[in-house]
Parts: sequence; C-alpha cells; structure tokens
Amino acid sequence: MREIASISIIQFSIVYILLLVVLAVMKKAKINQTKLLFVASVRLTLQLTLAGFILTYIFENPHPIFILMYLTSMILFAIHRVLSKNKCMNRGFKIAVSLSLACSGLGIVIFFVTAVVGQSIFDPQYVIPLSGMIIGNAMTGVNLATKTFCESLSEKRQQMESLLNLGVTPQKILLPMVNQALETAMLPTLNSMLGMGIVSLPGMMTGQILSGTLPTTAILYQISIMIAICAVVCLSVFGSLYFGYKTLYNSRNQLFYL
Amino acid sequence: MIRYPNIKIAKGKTTFIHGPSGCGKSTLLKLINGTTSPDSGEIFYKGNNIENIDTIDLRREILLVAQSVFLFTGTIEENFKKYYEYRDHDAPSKEEMEKFLKICSAEFPLETRCETMSGGERQRVYIAIFLSFMPDVLMLDEPTSALDNTSSDIMMSNIKNFSKDNEMTTIVVSHYLTLAEKYGDEIIALERSKQ
Repeated sequence: MREIASISIIQFSIVYILLLVVLAVMKKAKINQTKLLFVASVRLTLQLTLAGFILTYIFENPHPIFILMYLTSMILFAIHRVLSKNKCMNRGFKIAVSLSLACSGLGIVIFFVTAVVGQSIFDPQYVIPLSGMIIGNAMTGVNLATKTFCESLSEKRQQMESLLNLGVTPQKILLPMVNQALETAMLPTLNSMLGMGIVSLPGMMTGQILSGTLPTTAILYQISIMIAICAVVCLSVFGSLYFGYKTLYNSRNQLFYL
Repeated sequence: MIRYPNIKIAKGKTTFIHGPSGCGKSTLLKLINGTTSPDSGEIFYKGNNIENIDTIDLRREILLVAQSVFLFTGTIEENFKKYYEYRDHDAPSKEEMEKFLKICSAEFPLETRCETMSGGERQRVYIAIFLSFMPDVLMLDEPTSALDNTSSDIMMSNIKNFSKDNEMTTIVVSHYLTLAEKYGDEIIALERSKQ
C-alpha cells in the first residue's frame, strides 16, 4: 500500500468549484438557500480547520487532561443538542437523557478502545476519532427517539386519557410508545449495517484505506465500530426512554401530560 | 382555582351535574376518579378517602367516559377487543357487544369501521364500550354533546333504565338542563366560583 498523497492548498481550493455547481443548480431550481449554502461552507471550513489545529496540538502533546476535556465537551455538546431540539421534556426526563448519553457513550468508548482495539484510553489517535463516531451516533439516535416519543405523546393525548380513565396503568399506556420510539431510532443504524460494503464504503474505512491501511485491517475496524455504534444507540436510547417515561406519571398514576 | 360546595352522590341513582362553562364540572369527575388531585379537601368513596384507595382499582370501579371520544382505527368489534385487551379481559361475545350498542342507540353492524362514522355515532359507540365494563359508578361527561335530540333521549333513557336494573350509580355532567330534569334523580347545580 502507498502512503496517502498530500494535497497542496492550490489543489485543495479547486474543490470549491463544485460549490459553484451546487449554487447554479439551486438557482435554476429556485431553491432560496444560497445564504445557507454559503454559511454552511464557511462554517465547515473554519470548524474543521480549527479542529485540525487542535488535534495536531493534542497529538503532538498527548496528555490525559486533553482527552478528558475533549470527551467532556463532546458529551456536553451532544446532551445540549438533544435537549435544545426537544423542548417537551420535563426536568427528570432531561436528567435521564443526559445520564444515558453520558454513561452509555463513555462506557462503549472505554470498552472499544481498551478491549477491542487494545490501546490506552488516553491515546488521542484512537480515542478522539472513535469517540466522535460513537458519541455522535448516540446523539443522533437519542435525538430521533425523543422527537418520536414527544410527537407520539402529543398525538395520542385522547387515547392516553381514555385508557387512563378505563383503569389502565400509565406503564401499559406509555410502553408501546417507548418501544415504537426505540425502534424508530434503531432503524437507521440497522439499515446502514445492511447496506454497508455494497451500497457504500463507510467513511472510516475509506479514510483508513486512503491513508495506506490494508483493506483487511480497515474492514475489521469498520465492522467493530458499526457494532459499537449499534450498541451505543440501543443503550443510550433505551436508557433515555425507559428512565425518562417513568418521570411522566406519579405514584397516584396521574399523567403529567394530560 | 375552583371551589366546590360539599357534594353527596346517592348510590344507585342518576345524578346530573349542571352548571355554566368553566365552573369545574369535568374537573369534578377527574377528581372523583383520581386522574387529578385536589389542592385541599377530601373525597370519600364507600366511606374511604380516595387518597387511600389504589387509583387503578378506583378508576375501574368509577369509570369516567370523557367528552373527547377516542376510538382505535378499525371496526367496532376490534375496538371492543382492543379496549378489553388493555384491561387484560376477554372481550365480550358479539351478542353482548350488540346489547350495549343497542342501549346506547348505536345499533350499527360490528364490522362498521369507526373512522367512517360521524361524531355522534362515534360518541355512542365509545359510551357503549365503556358501559360494557359494568362499573359500580359510571360517570358521563357531556354524553350527548354530539347527538341529536332523538338519539340523546333514547340513549339517556336506556342508560338510566340499565343503571337502575343493575344498581349502577350514574353521574352525568351536562349543560342541558332539560336533559337533567328529565333523567336525573338528583341535580347538583354548580356555580362558577369567585376568585
């Protein structure tokens, strides 16, 4: 395998020509999102450049405190994104979501880096990219699950009220909605596992192959990270919803959302 | 803040609760079946404070048929079965279902899909399903709100007779005074409480 070819700044800047193509299509199709395309492109460039500098510094000066700070800020950002996108949650539900994201995210990262890859949890080369993939997917899963659950709660108010009046327990009323939200959140991950290797070569594997890793090694990494992602999505969503839904009723079996 | 006077509901009778909008008629029913709690005061059922009764048992004995009708997507028969499944009960026989539909003036074939029915028809089917659970106390919140006068009369008359025959206590919230005077053994008039 050859080492990856480095891209000069001039070669790199050619890629922005493709954005002009996107812009032309958007104009032709009268999609009024020119500003968004511009902002998104600038943010993409700035954020990744900044991340590049930070990562270079951390890789050259590896210290556990950097890893801890990186993981903490990543988890806090993930929690913030989920909570700010789903306003329907009460305080208890927010705590359940936060703890589930943090515990399952950290747990799977530690397990994956130490047990599967066999490296130190403070090795930035492994922890940073792997935790990004694991915690990022957990965030997307919990976001989708809580959104589905909240929509279900507001759509099924009359059903919930009828069943409660009939003497059905809140658990029995809410659990089908919890299970449905869990399924909705799991499906994208399961579907991407189905198509992997046939429909697309996944990002991490592509990156490894580009940088000179043997495809057989890259495949092992890809399979194991997909299984880790599947597990973290399942655990974080399960924890968020199963501990969260219990905050929606009290000991008198009264629902707070009615 | 809603303030209620001392209220007594007679066992085995049909009691109408009447009053203007916003006086707390529906809230009173929710307080009685424990789906909401009072800030102060007490409610007794068969001599026991309802705070000391298991809320699920209480709601099964004191059944509230809310004003907002909910029927699952499917036929009338499937709706009976679905509600009974939630209560972990075997669904009644087709004859039983038809009997309760007849009491509620909802003599539609059991295969009728509920989503194709009118608001009034759905309301009668909904009440029939709840009535079939034969609670000790049946609470109906504006049961005739979507019905015409003829259907209202037939249904209320049948429910009153059925309750009497089965010693069922019935509490009806209605803002139709004529209905209350015609079918109520007792009428409790609520007023909008002053702040």
